[in-house]
Amino acid sequence: MLGLAKKRIWKSNPMKFSYDAVIIGGGLHGLATAYYLARNHGMQNVAIIEKRFIGFGGAGRNTAIVRANQRTQYNVPLYKEALDLWPVLTKELDFNLMFNNCGNLNLMHSEAAMKAARMTIATAQFHGVESHLIDAKQAKEMVPALNISEDITFPIHGAMYHPPGGIVRHDAVVWGLAKGCTKHGVHIHQQTEATAIDAEDGKITGVQTSRGRIRTPRVLVTAGGYSAGLIYHLLGIKLPIAVLTIQAMVTQPLKPLLDHVVSSGAYHCYANQTLKGEIATGAHMDQWPNYTTQNTAHYIKHQAEALSDWLPCLRGVKFMRIWGGLADMTPDMAPIMDGNDPIEGFYMDCGWGYFGFKSCSAVGKHMAAYMATGSCPDMLKPFNLRRYETHQLMGETAELVCYTPNN
Amino acid sequence: MALTLTCPVCGKRNGYEFRYGGEDKGPRPAQEGLTPKAWCDYVHMNKCTAGVQKEWWVHRDGCGSWFTTYRDTIQNLEVEQPEASE
Repeated sequence: MLGLAKKRIWKSNPMKFSYDAVIIGGGLHGLATAYYLARNHGMQNVAIIEKRFIGFGGAGRNTAIVRANQRTQYNVPLYKEALDLWPVLTKELDFNLMFNNCGNLNLMHSEAAMKAARMTIATAQFHGVESHLIDAKQAKEMVPALNISEDITFPIHGAMYHPPGGIVRHDAVVWGLAKGCTKHGVHIHQQTEATAIDAEDGKITGVQTSRGRIRTPRVLVTAGGYSAGLIYHLLGIKLPIAVLTIQAMVTQPLKPLLDHVVSSGAYHCYANQTLKGEIATGAHMDQWPNYTTQNTAHYIKHQAEALSDWLPCLRGVKFMRIWGGLADMTPDMAPIMDGNDPIEGFYMDCGWGYFGFKSCSAVGKHMAAYMATGSCPDMLKPFNLRRYETHQLMGETAELVCYTPNN
Repeated sequence: MALTLTCPVCGKRNGYEFRYGGEDKGPRPAQEGLTPKAWCDYVHMNKCTAGVQKEWWVHRDGCGSWFTTYRDTIQNLEVEQPEASE
């Protein structure tokens, strides 16, 4: 247009025969790990192979919420670091990630939930994460659209207010990291499917792809919801994961009425208003594993009922777009990050459920350190796969809003 | 994502009447000589097949029967038992 050549923000390169590391899955965890491998550890001979296109999966399907108010002492520091990295990455990548730290409000609908909130807040405060308990009246002052009357299905007792959380534009993170990867020499190969992972004498030797074989001593699987099936299919390693479709939708654009991310465990519903004015909402997970990524009439109805109960001004508003993505759920609601076990040079980063987006920046940094040095950073040690056979499951299921496939 | 399942007692019913009971992992391992690893495999570990898998269901809001069936996890449809698994 006007004689200006279209400038691409990342490059595609011819595929080489060998790389120092190959990352399977061009989502946010893969992109972030590749970026930090090249930037922090000088490993520039790295390839990301992606079956479809970067950002196809959870990276472009999540509802862009970021927060650091998880339950356990292992998880909170990781998410805090991820949260602190958004402004840093915005500068470093020279790309506007549109971080809007509007704050999260988790509604509590019983005295038991208030008590659970007090414990979660104590954990957050202990780790230097700002989080407060507020009562229903204060919540109403913050969000005037909120229905705090007592004649709704789940009357609001109070809320957990977490000011540093908010919204980041997920597509911008994909593009920004892809730009950063290109700048540091990482190769991104889209439309390239991993068909086999080669190992000899317990060591990784390469990856076979739909575009030929690549020699490499290190492979990381960061294929989001597809990781568990892929790892079993390619290596025969079973994981404690169930893959569920999680649904989301947006309403027609409205005048500004919601300044926070508001969520409710009892209603199984969260909502925030996008910069375009749409109410982005979701939370429902299918009750049985599937890879459909489809929406259900069952849930759209549920969502409409829930929203018109606690945000009654939305009655009569229309949903404009609906979509679904995959959540790979573990029994303890915490991810699996492990490496060199049982195959040297094989790394995995999966089981994130619906937490993959909010963690990607910090995890990329630590996974890169893990892969570059071969030794597990302290931050990631509690997330090993062996914790399931030693019955050291994490306490994340005690979190306020918690869905597992076994609920 | 509608799902219809065939209960051995009640016949074809709406999927929301049922509760998923996990991938079929064969018989429960014997108590004698059971290692934590073998127990973990049985309790937690899954294949996460994208395709047809054999799985457990219970007719929770119906007769209460536990049964196994085959379902295509990509289409989310109950299917006939594949020939290869017979």
